[in-house]
Amino acid sequence: MNKKTKIKLSLSDRIFNAVNIFIMLVIMAVMLAPIIHVVCVSFSLGSEIQKGGLFLWPHGFTLEGYKKVLQDHMIVRSYINTVIYAFSHTALVIILTALTAYPLTIKDFPLRKGITIFITITMFFSGGAIPTYLLMKELHLINNPLVMVVPFVVTAYNLILFRTFFEGIDPCMRESARIDGAGEFRILIQIIMPLSKAIIAAVSLFTIVGKWNDWYSALIYLNSEAYYPVQMILRKILFNSTVFAQMDPSVMQMFRNSTITPANIQMATIVVIMLPIMCIYPFIQKYFAAGVMVGGVKG
Amino acid sequence: MARQNKKPVPKQRSFWKRCVKYRSLILMSLPGLIAVFIFSYIPMYGILIAFQDYNPVEGMFGHNNWVGFKYFKQFLQNPYLFRLIRNTLLLGIYTLLWSFPAPIIFALLMDQLTNAKFKKTVQSISYLPYFISTVVIVGLVKDFCSVDGVINGIREFFGLNAVSFMTDPKYFRTIFIASNIWQGLGWGAIVYLAALSGVDPQLHEAATLDGANRWQRIRYVSWPAIVPTTTIMLILESGKIISSDFTKVLLLYNESTYETADIIGTYVYREGILGGKFEYTTAIGLLTSLFSFILLITANFLSKKISDNSLW
Repeated sequence: MNKKTKIKLSLSDRIFNAVNIFIMLVIMAVMLAPIIHVVCVSFSLGSEIQKGGLFLWPHGFTLEGYKKVLQDHMIVRSYINTVIYAFSHTALVIILTALTAYPLTIKDFPLRKGITIFITITMFFSGGAIPTYLLMKELHLINNPLVMVVPFVVTAYNLILFRTFFEGIDPCMRESARIDGAGEFRILIQIIMPLSKAIIAAVSLFTIVGKWNDWYSALIYLNSEAYYPVQMILRKILFNSTVFAQMDPSVMQMFRNSTITPANIQMATIVVIMLPIMCIYPFIQKYFAAGVMVGGVKG
Repeated sequence: MARQNKKPVPKQRSFWKRCVKYRSLILMSLPGLIAVFIFSYIPMYGILIAFQDYNPVEGMFGHNNWVGFKYFKQFLQNPYLFRLIRNTLLLGIYTLLWSFPAPIIFALLMDQLTNAKFKKTVQSISYLPYFISTVVIVGLVKDFCSVDGVINGIREFFGLNAVSFMTDPKYFRTIFIASNIWQGLGWGAIVYLAALSGVDPQLHEAATLDGANRWQRIRYVSWPAIVPTTTIMLILESGKIISSDFTKVLLLYNESTYETADIIGTYVYREGILGGKFEYTTAIGLLTSLFSFILLITANFLSKKISDNSLW
C-alpha cells in the first residue's frame, strides 16, 4: 500500500476491503479445517472419538494410532511400493522426455515437424479406457508392478514444457560445445540438462505427486495386495468397514482394551500418506508458474 | 563432421542427407516415440474391437469376427441408457455451472487484496487441497457426511434431524461438486491470477481518478483482462461435460445412490473391467469421445462467432 491510496480510501472501499478479507479468512478456514480435523482425530483418545462432537481440537492425546500404522506390514510395504513407483516412474519420465524434447529444438532436424504432429495428436485423441486395458493385457502388464512405472512416461504436456524450456537456452551454448567436438548426447547431458534444473524439478515434483496419489491404475491393473500402492491400502482401510473385523482376533481384542479406535488408525494413515506431499508442497509452489504454463499449453 | 560445416550452407540439404547428419538425434528421440506409439497409438487401433467379437485367445491383434454396429445397438437398447445419459450430462452441466465460475470469482477477489503478504498466504492455503489424493478427499467426505459426522453434528446443534447424506441419491451431485470446488478452487484460480497480474496498475489508478468505484473497476478493468482466458477455459471445460472424473464417482457412490450417481464412466468400468464386456464398453467409450469431441468443436465454433476467441 502506497501513500496515495491511503489518503483516498473512501468508506465504500474500506467496507469492500473488510468484507473481502473476511471472505478470504472464511475460505482459508474451510480449506484448512478438514486437514486439521484429520490430524486432531489421529491424536485423540478413542473413548473421546466415540463420544462424538470432536472437531478441530484433539481430546486427550495418544500416539497409539501411529504406532499401529507403522507396525502394520501391509501399510509399510505398500508405502515402500509407492515410493518405488513414484521415483522410478519420475526418473523414466524425465529421461525419456528430455531425450525426445531436445531434438525438437534443433531447427534443422528433419523429423521436427513430423514428431510434433505425432505428439500433438495424442493430446486430442486417445483409445479410451478399455482398449488401453486390453493393451496392458497384451503386454502382460496386468498384475505386474511395472504397470505402475512404464506406461505413459512420455506425454504431450511434459514434452511441450521441456521443449519450450530448451528453446529458451542460448543456442550459442550448443554451437560452441559442438565446435569443441561434443556429440549431441554429450551436449544434452553436459550442457542442456544442467541449465534446465528448473523445469526438471517442476516436472519431477508434479509427476511424483501424481504417482503418489494414483490409485486407479492399481485398482484396474493390480490384483495382488503385495504390489498395491499405499493409496489402495488406504482405500481399503477407509471404505471397507469389514477390514477391521477381518483383522486378527487379537487385534480386535486390542481395540476393545486400548485407548484407540479404528478412526485413529484411519486418520493416522491419512496423515502418514499426506505428510510427504505436505513436505514437498512448499517446493512445488515455486513451480506453479510451470503449472500455469501447462494450462496455457492446454489452451 | 563439424569441420566440414565451417561455412553455413544457405540452401537446406535434402531430407535424407539431413537424416543421416542428425542420426544421433533420431536415435535419441526413438525411445520416447516408441513409448508414445505403444501406449497412445495402439489403444487407438484397439478401438476397432468395438466393431468385432473379441476373442480373448486371439487378443487385440488377432483374428476377431466383424459384427458391425451390434454393440452400439446393444447400448442404445440398454434399459439404463436414459438414466446413464441423464446422470452423466447433469453431473457435467452442474459441475460446469458451479465449479467453473468459482475460481474466477475467487481470483477477482484475491486480486483486490492490497496486502501482498496476506494475498500470498491465501493463495498458498487455497492450493493445498489440490495435492491431496482423491482417496483421501472422498474418505474425508464420507467421514464428514456420515450420520455421526461433523455436518450432522452441526445440524443437530441447530435442532435439525441427522441426514444420511452418503446413501441418499438426492445429495450425491451436491457432495460431488462441493468437494470438487473445495479441491480445485485455488488451483483453478492460478490461470486467472496470472492473467490479472498482467493488468497495468495505471489502468486501475486512472479508473479510480475518473471516479470508478471498486465494483466498476472489477467490471471494466479486471474482468476484460481475463475474458480471453475464461473463454478458452470454458471451451475446454465444455468438452468435458460428459467425462466427469468417474474415478472419484467410483469412490463416492454406492448402490443406493446409483439413481443419480451412476454415470457412463462408472458403467463402463463395471461392465468392461469387472464384467469383461470389452467390445460393448469400447463401443460406449467411442460414442462418448465422439460426443465430447463434437461438444468441443461446437463450443469452439460458437466462441469464434461470438467473441473471436478460439482454440484454433
